[in-house]
Amino acid sequence: MKTSKKFTALALAGIMAASSVSIVPVSAAEPKKTTIGVCFYQDTGKAPTATKAFLESLSDTLNVEFKYGTFTQTDEAANLTKVQELIASGVDGIIGTMDLGTQSILSECEAAGIYYAGYLCDFDTSYTTAYDDVFGNPNFLGTVTDGHNPDDVCIGNQCFDSLIEYNERNADDPITHVSLAVFPSWAFPAQTAGAEQFIADVDEYNKTAENPITVDPLDEEVDVLNFAPLDSTYFSKHPDTQAIISMAAGTSFVYPTMVSAGVDSDIKLFTTGYEGGEEKNFGTAGTQTYQQNVVTGVETIVYPLVLMLNKLNDTEFADMPEQAERISTEQYIINSDEDMETFLGTVYSTGDAADAAYTPEDVLNLTAFGNPDATYADLVNAVQTLKF
Amino acid sequence: MKAVKKVLLSLAFPVLMFVVMLVITMNSDRCFVNGRNIFLGKDLFVQVAINSCMTICVALAIWLQLKNGRFDFSGGASMVLAAIGAGYVGQHTGSMWAAFAVAVVLGVVVSIGTAIVYIVGRLPIIICTIGMTLLYESLTYLLFGGQGIRGFYSTPALSKMGRMPWVLLPAVLAMVLFIVYTYFTASGRRGKILSNNQSAGVNIGINENKNVFVSYIFSGLIIGMAAIVYISQNDVTPQSGLATSSIMFSYIVPVFMGTFIGLASNDVIGIAIAAIGMQIMNYGLNCLNLGAGGWQQIIMGIFVLGFYTFSSQSEKIAAFLAKRKAVNA
Repeated sequence: MKTSKKFTALALAGIMAASSVSIVPVSAAEPKKTTIGVCFYQDTGKAPTATKAFLESLSDTLNVEFKYGTFTQTDEAANLTKVQELIASGVDGIIGTMDLGTQSILSECEAAGIYYAGYLCDFDTSYTTAYDDVFGNPNFLGTVTDGHNPDDVCIGNQCFDSLIEYNERNADDPITHVSLAVFPSWAFPAQTAGAEQFIADVDEYNKTAENPITVDPLDEEVDVLNFAPLDSTYFSKHPDTQAIISMAAGTSFVYPTMVSAGVDSDIKLFTTGYEGGEEKNFGTAGTQTYQQNVVTGVETIVYPLVLMLNKLNDTEFADMPEQAERISTEQYIINSDEDMETFLGTVYSTGDAADAAYTPEDVLNLTAFGNPDATYADLVNAVQTLKF
Repeated sequence: MKAVKKVLLSLAFPVLMFVVMLVITMNSDRCFVNGRNIFLGKDLFVQVAINSCMTICVALAIWLQLKNGRFDFSGGASMVLAAIGAGYVGQHTGSMWAAFAVAVVLGVVVSIGTAIVYIVGRLPIIICTIGMTLLYESLTYLLFGGQGIRGFYSTPALSKMGRMPWVLLPAVLAMVLFIVYTYFTASGRRGKILSNNQSAGVNIGINENKNVFVSYIFSGLIIGMAAIVYISQNDVTPQSGLATSSIMFSYIVPVFMGTFIGLASNDVIGIAIAAIGMQIMNYGLNCLNLGAGGWQQIIMGIFVLGFYTFSSQSEKIAAFLAKRKAVNA
């Protein structure tokens, strides 16, 4: 996507978002005092910090107190214990970021009479193996995914678009040979699908391309990162690669090895995620290693939050679906210096709620109790327009 | 002649490791890319050198206290804390040397803190250092907004000490500091007596408190070296639940191997040689796509177990061989 197109899209998204959230409430009810627990996937970092800042900015307007915790990616019992602790501390609902032990967690929530919802998690395990128990559970309100759902993959297309844009900007020295890195398909099936999507896009492109692109075939033993950093021998095994397309979290799992091997000036990295500090070597800055980062806006937490607050305030959208849903989100695809500059002004980067896409009043107007005209479609629209 | 024999014996381990891994990789299709065995690429030297330097720094910090009879759990937390301080100062001054200085100073200050608590509290060393580890780890959540340090290692001007050739500097300094402490200070020389029999050492007039204090100053200096390499190679995040001990103990294997290999020379050289040998093995396993996960752990575990078994039985083996030689003669 060209920059101009992006900003046109941004403007359109802004208009759409504004039209959806700036409706003056007909008869707004005063929100009840509630307490909501939020369990992140890690206790530090840009995303948790920015999310906390955003949530705290909503606290007074929505009359809600937030309590925070951290889930693990591997220990179901630890997550259950954290939920029990939050319940014991008197929360009315919990927003979680991990689909681990969800059925047990929901049992606890049912027993305690509180609600549970997801954030930055597709709950794919539950969706594919325990749909009725989880998505059919009245205490489960739904989840907002970190990007697109596994049955709606587009990360391969995104990476391909970024690569082509890079080549257009650098027509005299285009990238013509790339390799891949993904997490195991048993954990992140969408990444393997994304890699296949990327390869298919390149194959199609090569049919008419002046400078065809070679993609090293996805090697199960080399390119699949078992939640460990890239092997130092990756570059020997991909001796001709000019760029790594990492569907996996490249900042944490690929980039350190690139630096250690001293190839960060020679090989580009197109990846997902943003941990902070990438801008120093992004685009035309520094070593120019990073050429793409993809981030889901922290304001997407309004989806589970609003659904939960509606329940706690005994209100409902007129168009509320019968079953809980998982919602894909559009993302900030940062693949140019201009994108990075814009992104650095968002709450995700600054950690300042004043830079958030939505004000507390905007969020209140998304709720059924704050705005009787608010709809579920408006809420979904609000989280799906957070992009450039 | 004796010196040559010592050198050859010391070098035997990494050379043997190289030969074994070369033979294995030569017989694996996985290791051949464009007709070349990637194990023999230039990356072997670079990766082994970089990884060995980090291992040497941490292993020497562990061994310095262990040699004095103290199993110190707080070394990893001290290193992480020093690394966070160094990273913060480095990023705000833009100076690698400022970061280096802060890493060393913080390494010493934090280590002295541990020494004071140990001396004043009269606690068992394990209790004391686990307590200090928890304290230092909690500080990582408080310092500079509790976000750790990100992006230091990816700033080339700051992170030279995580890359070749600058990474050799802290490793060499760590070795020099260890040698100075062990062979040129009274505390270092007396340390062996205390580790063999603490009560006897104190009874013959060794001031243990002074020994503790001096040894922690030197181990703090070495931890500072480890911290600057660590921050130059990794993002450093806040730690909890003794996670820093896990970081530290991931470098402990060369300590025990090094003390055996060092019988041919001395423990410093032994640890350095062991670190290099283990990194050659790691690199070879990486070439075989066995560098991570279960198989690496299994292979590493079996190898280390076999090595320790051999080293603990080496006297019996030597006696057996001598006996056979005498019988044959």
